[in-house]
Amino acid sequence: MSSTIHKSSSFDSSYDVVVIGAGLGGLGAALNLALSQKSVLLLEQHNLPGGFASSFVRGRFEFEISLHEMCAVGPPEGPLKGPIRYILHDESSVDVEFVPVPEAYHLILTGKEHKVNVKLPFGVENFIDTVCSAVPETPRESLVKYFDLCRECSEALTFVARSKGNIDYKILMAKYASFLTTSGYSAAEVTNKFGFPKKTLDLLYPYSCYMGLPASRLDFTIWASLLHLYITQGAYIPKGTSHQMCAAIDARIRELGGQTEYNNRVQSILVENNKVIGVETDDGEKIKTNYVITNCSPHLVYGKLISPANAVPEEAYKLNNSRRLGVSAFVVYMGLDASPKDLNLESYGYFISPHMDTEKINKSMLQCENMPDLTASICLNNAIPNCSPPGTTILSITTAFGIDIWKNITPETYFATKNKLARQMIEQVSKALDSPISEHIEEIEVATPQTFSRYTGSFKGGVYGYDLDPWDSLVIRSQVKNKEEFFKGLEFAGGFAAMGHGYNSSLLSGRQAARSVLWKMKKEGG
Amino acid sequence: MEVYGRSKDMAQASKMQRERKKRWKNASPVPDIEDPIKELSMGLHLKNFQLIITDILDATKTTKTYRLKLAPNFELKRLPLFRAGQYLSVKVNVDGVKVTRPYSISSAPSDILEDGFYELTIKIKDDGFLSTEFFEKWKTGNIVSVSGPHGNMYFDDLRDSNEIVGIAGGSGITPFRSIIREIVAQKLDLKLTVLYGSRHEDDIIFAEELSNLAGKLPDKIKVVNICSEPSENWSGPSGFINAELIKKYAGPIEGKTFFICGPQAMYEFLEKEIQNLNIPNRRIRRELYGQPDNITMNPKYPVEFKDKTFNIIVRIGNKIETIKASATESVLVSLERAGIGVDSQCRSGECGFCRSLLISGDIFVNNEIDGRRAGDKKFGFFHPCSSYLLSDLEIKIPSFKFVKFSPIK
Repeated sequence: MSSTIHKSSSFDSSYDVVVIGAGLGGLGAALNLALSQKSVLLLEQHNLPGGFASSFVRGRFEFEISLHEMCAVGPPEGPLKGPIRYILHDESSVDVEFVPVPEAYHLILTGKEHKVNVKLPFGVENFIDTVCSAVPETPRESLVKYFDLCRECSEALTFVARSKGNIDYKILMAKYASFLTTSGYSAAEVTNKFGFPKKTLDLLYPYSCYMGLPASRLDFTIWASLLHLYITQGAYIPKGTSHQMCAAIDARIRELGGQTEYNNRVQSILVENNKVIGVETDDGEKIKTNYVITNCSPHLVYGKLISPANAVPEEAYKLNNSRRLGVSAFVVYMGLDASPKDLNLESYGYFISPHMDTEKINKSMLQCENMPDLTASICLNNAIPNCSPPGTTILSITTAFGIDIWKNITPETYFATKNKLARQMIEQVSKALDSPISEHIEEIEVATPQTFSRYTGSFKGGVYGYDLDPWDSLVIRSQVKNKEEFFKGLEFAGGFAAMGHGYNSSLLSGRQAARSVLWKMKKEGG
Repeated sequence: MEVYGRSKDMAQASKMQRERKKRWKNASPVPDIEDPIKELSMGLHLKNFQLIITDILDATKTTKTYRLKLAPNFELKRLPLFRAGQYLSVKVNVDGVKVTRPYSISSAPSDILEDGFYELTIKIKDDGFLSTEFFEKWKTGNIVSVSGPHGNMYFDDLRDSNEIVGIAGGSGITPFRSIIREIVAQKLDLKLTVLYGSRHEDDIIFAEELSNLAGKLPDKIKVVNICSEPSENWSGPSGFINAELIKKYAGPIEGKTFFICGPQAMYEFLEKEIQNLNIPNRRIRRELYGQPDNITMNPKYPVEFKDKTFNIIVRIGNKIETIKASATESVLVSLERAGIGVDSQCRSGECGFCRSLLISGDIFVNNEIDGRRAGDKKFGFFHPCSSYLLSDLEIKIPSFKFVKFSPIK
């Protein structure tokens, strides 16, 4: 049949900004630029937006790929409303609906010395009450002070972030003195000063697992902020999976005049005199721009994307090598042909482990002979009852591995390894919850570091950015950001950007990168 | 709040900043680009790679088995491994028309480890694009472009019983041949009974090989050939595979997993039969059969559209083309007919690889397998391979410029 060609180029010849990667960072950046009426092109190598914030369909089930719960969303109105809700709803009119997660977490410790089966609620007072009644020897007043300190650090972090490098130390000193005295320490160093019994710490630390670091290495400020935000604002998930949220952002970007293109891989970021001049796609199409916001890791950007390669200063490689790559994930997704009630699944999110020693947990992630100690399970139906057909359940079980741990797995050993680990994880959860999971598996998929690498191209299959050690904390990153810009016009967004990994940080980092570009454009009189 | 005393605490943040600088200064200047996980990934799946036909065997009068190895110029250590039952998406260019076809791999994963090959066993029929003449041009030495392996119909010990009943029709035997070869080569702890339906006894593919393999492990492998229109000499069971034959040859249903792979007509017939057997959903895996031969046979299809033709405005990035399309062909086929190269994998609505944006217009989505995500339905995305025009359309499809479609000369 006949066909008529009207126009022959895929792209405009130039854009104000090109965004590489439609993960949450790239989406957040493109959204803000489109909102500011800049011409923006978002290029994504995969055929979907979202990166890890996505979903897949098997049989009659649609699975969330990576989301457990979002922080910084908060209720629709009132003082606890969070920045994510403000940005997506108020600022950008994105058509996304958030559903609250019913409880903070259900902790089950199965070890001999300390057995625990406690559901921790949201709300600082409720949380403290529950901890004190589960562990009566908890010094209540210290715990109240601890949460107060967390609040102060969280608020200070927001203050620092809003100062964009020009921090007013007078205000900081007057309002956030304890932030200043705890900044630079690890979560363990500060928390240990409160003298909580070990049993109390067991109930307090589960969220730290979301950061992929033991308490002795996790920066206290970020830990305090995370705990404070979750417990005071609650946690939320987007209705219809995070793919729906990302599809909504993509739709809004296009509605605002931005261009989003999938299955378009960027081969090179073109530079000249340490300045971005454009990008080149994998089929050799060159697109002019003075600003690139990249959702990729600096490892990939400096190691492979910058062209010519010899334009990359040695300092950039050294900086990359000095930082530590965060963990990768391992997830078992199951569609079960029984209701959550029949499966004994009463809660939305479970942390299950023989113990809550974060050092030991972290160490157990540095091998893949057997499953790591801790799993985090999500029963989606307990937040969104109709997310699967009546009489069925969606359950995912997640654990994490250190970034290089899977490097010796070969294609020959791959399938056996992943099924062995998945089986151990299913058994752990089944036993802890007295749930007949394996008798009801209708659909099952297992995602490994290889799977994450395959679909997102993430470096070494990692799902996080750089580890948030006290020497690479958000505060330090925000202070040194300007000194670490090797190319004019190049900004980072997503898990590897200054704000760190996680759904809310990635999304916010995209907006921050866009604001930074807009400010530079304005300064240049563009 | 004091941790180790005020002055020490106040200096801690700067101490950490110095620590960061020190680490930066002392770090290696060599870019860290080695990625063993990516390498692992390339040993399991590839978006596009090239194979060479090394042998062609006549499987039956109308079916050929093509043995494929890595193309000489393609840099890869070894063919990607797979799970017995998966398929390759073959990308061919027929006189400028780029099409893809999913074919189950009929060889076993162990054949890659031992001899470095895949085999595809293809029924040579005219399907509108790929004619019998086309396959005659597929000669030893030809390069074939593929992606994969893909697909979800494989044995998974986390989900499936290790007693499997396979129901195959026609060239639907191919994934079962792969599984049987794998059971034998890897001594898998798996029992498989295949009920294999063919029209005539001449149409039975791999008759001798499968009977020999079953003979090697009679406790594990059983293949029952069933002919619907056999000759007078046929002594085996005849008719269509139904509940009665399944019960007779597979034994008690309880605790077994069923794998089904065959032509569309077989599924339609089997659905009722399977309902009679009360097999729970989780015990049935169905391979997709690709696009339906005739969408108007779908009872939900609005037949008043069947003779209509429409226009599709196709956007690829900023490029715009207008094509004509017939209502009874999928949007994907219409794009292919117009010479617009669209990559696709399952061609059945499931995998979502051809996911595109419906800007305006109405479509009928083949309801048998609607693999769309909820968010995609909400924001106007559709799978062209399982969608049919009910009006003029304006769509945006992703570009697939990196995919090589191998021309056959």
